[in-house]
Amino acid sequence: MKVDILFFASLRELFEEDKIKINVDDDMSSPEELLQYLAKNHKGPWFELLQKRKNIRVAINHNIEDWDSSLSDGDELAFLPPITGG
Amino acid sequence: MITIQQETFSIELITEKIRRSSKNIGAIVTFVGYVRDFDKDEHKKLFSMKLEHYSGMTEKILADIDKKANSRWALTATEIIHRVGELEPTEPIVCVAVASKHRNDAFDAARFIIDFLKTDAPFWKKEKTNKGEYWVDDKDSDHKQKKSWSRTSEKS
Repeated sequence: MKVDILFFASLRELFEEDKIKINVDDDMSSPEELLQYLAKNHKGPWFELLQKRKNIRVAINHNIEDWDSSLSDGDELAFLPPITGG
Repeated sequence: MITIQQETFSIELITEKIRRSSKNIGAIVTFVGYVRDFDKDEHKKLFSMKLEHYSGMTEKILADIDKKANSRWALTATEIIHRVGELEPTEPIVCVAVASKHRNDAFDAARFIIDFLKTDAPFWKKEKTNKGEYWVDDKDSDHKQKKSWSRTSEKS
């Protein structure tokens, strides 16, 4: 399963990327599972993201979703730091 | 109408545009948010602010908020403008303008739109101050403000 991951604001600076494409097993069914897996296996910024998790929301294909919602092939997953518009 | 733009805007022109769009407008409520410098007791000085957003998602979220406002109140027109890029103190950041036949619908809908925009539309502010540069954190008060709408009874 291929997923595009987008980073914004403080997370973009943390990852030094605004977008990455990853290929993961199809059984990696949610943002929660994906982050747990990446934090465990790649550490670095992923581990830091996991530490901040309670202040981060996820969007799948432009909709704010729960951390345990389903991911599908071709999805655009964004990790959103605290929103501060207006 | 929803617009994300770098350039500034004129609240007078927006109001005029809405006013000319219909003869059935009895009230226009406008909200403008500005970049402010810090107070003396905040012990820092703001040089500028950088605003970024999640293109594509921002427009979608704002359209959803606009749709909800229109289904909840009887509105004649709505305008939401949000700026991105580098902004300096005193510059306008955001405008919500709502028109309706009667004032209560416009007042309530304008506050509803800005309350949801604050917590749900993916914008981020980075402040450049004399104490350094940092991403602004969200405020509990904004989340409480949004939640207050779920306790408010439906109006028509």
